[in-house]
Amino acid sequence: MENSTRIQEQQIIKDLLPQKFGKRGMTWTVILLLICLIGGYAYYRQLRDGLVVTAMRDYVSWGIYISNFVFFVAISLVGSLITAIFRLSNVKWSTPLTRIAEIIAVSAIVMASLIIIVDMGRPERFYNLFLHGRIQSPIMWDVIVIATYFCISILLLYFPLLPDLKILIKNKDKSGPGLNKLYRFQGSFWKGTKEQFRISNKSINILCILIIPVAFSIHTVTSWLFATTYRPGWDSTNFGAYFISGAFLVGAGSVVVAMYIFRRYYHLEKYITELHFEKMGRIVVLLALLYLYFNVNEYLVPAFKMKKPEEAHLVELFTGEFSVMFWFAIMVGMIIPIIILLFKKGRKPLPMFIAGAMIVVGAWFKRYLIVTPTLLHPFLPMQDVPLSYQHYFPSWEEWAIAMGSLAAALLIITFFARVYPIIPIEETIMEQNKQNEKDEA
Amino acid sequence: MKHNNSLFIFLLISMSFSLQSVRAQEKTSPGKTIVSLRYYNANNSVQYLVLQSQLKKEGQITPISGKKYDIFLDKSDPANLIAKVTTDKNGKANAFIPPTMKSAWDATSQHIFMVYEGGEEIISDYTISKAKMSIDTSTVDSIHSISASVQKWEDGKWIPAAGVEMKLGIKRLGGVLPAGDEESYTTDSSGNVTAELKKLNMPGDSKGNYILVAQVEDNDLFGNILAEKVVPWGTTLQPDKSFFNKRTLWSTGIQAPFWLLFMAFGIIVSVWSTMIYLIFQIVKIKKNGLQESA
Repeated sequence: MENSTRIQEQQIIKDLLPQKFGKRGMTWTVILLLICLIGGYAYYRQLRDGLVVTAMRDYVSWGIYISNFVFFVAISLVGSLITAIFRLSNVKWSTPLTRIAEIIAVSAIVMASLIIIVDMGRPERFYNLFLHGRIQSPIMWDVIVIATYFCISILLLYFPLLPDLKILIKNKDKSGPGLNKLYRFQGSFWKGTKEQFRISNKSINILCILIIPVAFSIHTVTSWLFATTYRPGWDSTNFGAYFISGAFLVGAGSVVVAMYIFRRYYHLEKYITELHFEKMGRIVVLLALLYLYFNVNEYLVPAFKMKKPEEAHLVELFTGEFSVMFWFAIMVGMIIPIIILLFKKGRKPLPMFIAGAMIVVGAWFKRYLIVTPTLLHPFLPMQDVPLSYQHYFPSWEEWAIAMGSLAAALLIITFFARVYPIIPIEETIMEQNKQNEKDEA
Repeated sequence: MKHNNSLFIFLLISMSFSLQSVRAQEKTSPGKTIVSLRYYNANNSVQYLVLQSQLKKEGQITPISGKKYDIFLDKSDPANLIAKVTTDKNGKANAFIPPTMKSAWDATSQHIFMVYEGGEEIISDYTISKAKMSIDTSTVDSIHSISASVQKWEDGKWIPAAGVEMKLGIKRLGGVLPAGDEESYTTDSSGNVTAELKKLNMPGDSKGNYILVAQVEDNDLFGNILAEKVVPWGTTLQPDKSFFNKRTLWSTGIQAPFWLLFMAFGIIVSVWSTMIYLIFQIVKIKKNGLQESA
């Protein structure tokens, strides 16, 4: 029996060790790098010439960068959902998904921090925020909470990685000297003693408790950046909950997409099973319904009252300039995925992947719709501004930087999957052993 | 509208579109330079010109700084040179009509301003007729009235200028607040306009003074003319110092309310102390591992 367990363990390790890039992996990485380079060049132009290279003017001063920022912040919530909430609820099936969720969270929060700096006209003055920051400002709260969430996410990624680092060091012939040096630096002290496991498990539990209020704060504070401003479309007490529910949805959608891709291209069918998709599907449909409910609240109530400034904003969304994008975001981001996922057949890997991708794409446009149309409809329109100020369409530099940031987030996930096991090896072995013991009993 | 409606399609093909945009922008023309000149007469004392140089490119207008121009009066002779100017970062340059040109200025009622750039004529037909404006006030039965009159110089004398549109109002930070019911007024055959002050109890300075303004803007004949008068019709402005040095949400960072400081720093300290504790746990794990190895 012991022998078969060891064979099973060896098989798990073999399956889950990081794999070198194949042809497809290299092509994917090169494409992402190219997009990042174009984004980098666009940012160089922005630094050289100033924010005038963007299409942002006196009306729309928060454009695609802030939409992208809100999108990244939203997607980062997934770390707390899959890792913390499921762990504290003693949900065992989520084990193979925890690291995927955590790396998505880390990459998203890194890019959220960077994109907010990109939005600054004079980034070299960033330090002034710390020297002369006002604790009364929600922007200051956002800076603090993003930094905190980033650190917690890194710790939550690191603690469960320690036992896997030992396995990686043991299998140094598979990784090469460079990576082995990195593994040794990060975790050569992990010996797998009882005491080490005790401290590690306790720390992970503390982190799981800590990350939930911080994650809720990051989304609530980000929503307050808008809701504390008296403008049509933003002046809402519903915004915190609306943002959190949207963040849960897009985060879960992104995990589904990542699950499908890793499962397919890393051949992880034994570990990320159809059962995982079935369970994630149920969660996603619940979250989509919840977000839809908040959307109904967010639009129906002001539409019922139709106050003049709100009317201009809502008409633009429902039937005007942004109507195609608005209905696209609602249909593709929520309603069609709900319809797909309500059926058992829809919760199979491929339909789930399609629904997940739709949710993520719809969510990006939803963030754009939260930011831009409102800015085009101030309560007090400015006098004597060029007509072009009253419309906004991002310049190529803005598109390149935004796409570059999305590519950079994917690149972080890609490199992480190349260096570290994307499914926790040690935890999978332990779960397997427990299952074996149960079967024996 | 069309652009935004097609935005979602744009993302789906974003990269190819971005590359096309890069190429398209590289190929565009150098753009068109727009030079404009405006004449100003403020309070009948200083006459000056403002030149503005802008570049129109890819549908955007940007100021051109550091460009040199020569401005002449009536003829492009060196003797008629008003000024050699260089545009600033806003693409603007000011030129005052110098006292040495008084005889040329007084000689006729109408003048032509010319602009040259490196010997090339840019503007040749900016014509201005000399005009002056005055502003006066009267109060009858506590009703304040403002009157302004515009006169033009013709045949060696000042005569009323009829049909001149102007703003009549109170000078505020963002512009001129109309004093009466109308946004603008037009002079009658005697060159006069009169408006009753409808904006009562407007805040003035610490003595209750504010400035009344009569302003002609971009008139085809006379350019820009301005006349001002200080009147004590406002309410005395007492700066509200009740909040000064108090801890409020809108004070400087150092004057944040105590409740906010306690809440914010309470949360920050509790979360970060937990994180420091967790980092210390890593050190503990490390120590335990090293002991195990030993």
